[in-house]
Amino acid sequence: MPDSLRLALVIAGKDIRGELRSRTALQSALVFSALVLVVFNFARDPTALSATDLAPSVLWVTFALAAMVALNRAFTVERENSALDGLLLAPVPREALFLGKLLANLAFVGTVELVTLPLFVLFFNVSLGHALPGLLGVTALATIGFVAVGTIFSAMAVRTRFAELMLPVLLLPFMVPPLIAAVQVTSRLLADRPLSEMWGWLRLLALYDIVFVTLCMLAFTAVVDE
Amino acid sequence: MTGEAARAAGIVRRGIILSGLGLAGLAGVFVLALGFTPVEARQGLAQKIFYLHVPAAWAALLAFSLVGVASILYLWLKDPRLDRFAAASAEVGVVFSGVMLTTGPIWAKPIWGTWWTWDARLTLTLFVFFLFIGYLALRAAVHDAAERARFSAVVGILGLLLVPFIHLSVYLFRTLHPQPIVLKPSAPSLPPEMLTTLLVSTLVFTVLYAGFVTARYGLSLGDEAREESRDAA
Amino acid sequence: MPPEPPQNGEYLVAAYIITSVILMGYWGALWRRAKKASGK
Repeated sequence: MPDSLRLALVIAGKDIRGELRSRTALQSALVFSALVLVVFNFARDPTALSATDLAPSVLWVTFALAAMVALNRAFTVERENSALDGLLLAPVPREALFLGKLLANLAFVGTVELVTLPLFVLFFNVSLGHALPGLLGVTALATIGFVAVGTIFSAMAVRTRFAELMLPVLLLPFMVPPLIAAVQVTSRLLADRPLSEMWGWLRLLALYDIVFVTLCMLAFTAVVDE
Repeated sequence: MTGEAARAAGIVRRGIILSGLGLAGLAGVFVLALGFTPVEARQGLAQKIFYLHVPAAWAALLAFSLVGVASILYLWLKDPRLDRFAAASAEVGVVFSGVMLTTGPIWAKPIWGTWWTWDARLTLTLFVFFLFIGYLALRAAVHDAAERARFSAVVGILGLLLVPFIHLSVYLFRTLHPQPIVLKPSAPSLPPEMLTTLLVSTLVFTVLYAGFVTARYGLSLGDEAREESRDAA
Repeated sequence: MPPEPPQNGEYLVAAYIITSVILMGYWGALWRRAKKASGK
């Protein structure tokens, strides 16, 4: 396994273990997504729109907001512990550092999503059935995209005064293409539509992931190095 | 006034004069658009908003692209002039985006019957506006000049790359969701008076862009020069 | 007799006024900042 990749996994492992011990990011994000789902449930008029029409949008808005909470907390905790400074002093290639952070953030956000999904099924009475594998797939694709951009932006935001506000302001425009695509694919999955109807959106997601993971990896050094 | 500050003031003056000329040109465009061009039969007087809206959109997108290009060049060459230019272009871009996002709905309402539609052009222009706002907000929040320049450049580049994805998303959305046919505002072939006015207006808006950016650049340069002489004192 | 074009002049006026206000306003803001800077 190439050195950089092994290094990235080590860094990711360290962050994940740290989070498992303190659980701050996970807890905030989980509570947050449960609350969002409850609010959505009470806010909608059940006679006006059927659950299946609204469900994909609600799910993805919840995922997006929870992801931002998780990203913010993860970097704030790290800044408080000054853990990044130590890593930066070591001759760690910045791409490996980014990849490690990305993997850790994906683990956090992925966990939040995996717990949110059953809550969502519960509150909205949606039947997932055989849509589940597809749903997990599209969730992975979309999450990689916006967590990649989220990782580099939270690294920047955490160095500013209003970090909690700065991250959404920067990140939300970037979340839109993966979110639109994810909602479109999710709604078709839940309606048992054929794969051909989702292909365009899936390609968009894959392209987005490739472009932005690469770009953010390359740009990471500009953010963390003097 | 130090030499640097004086040079900056010179740049500002040139910018103010150039944009002043641009404003005079804008008055000329008003005359052309309101007096010289014919009234479009299907859309009536409101169609003439076109002569302001389209050039404003052009200027905003020009500003945005140049922020992206300057960002790429900055990360490569590390020249602070590029960063200063990018900041100026972003601020001016917000101004033109403002014109575009106000004239757009005002034009859409009488022509299309709705203030807003999520078609490709309007959606893109809205996103460019949000990206500008994010860019400027970040710059305001970072105090160290070098860090601010680096961070802005990253956002500038990522923003530039986001635009094709927004476009692709809207395109996919519309091809898979057949929309009711709406009356398209631009006629398939523009009569010569309309084309001339549009081109003149685009030229005027480009001059305005150049003048505004020059002035804004000069103001940043002047601020930096004054701060340096204060630190040195 | 060709159909009358729609009467929507008020939109035209609104758009032209807003555009002027924004562009002249920004020019004025730049000019004021320049004056303040060189006045020091």
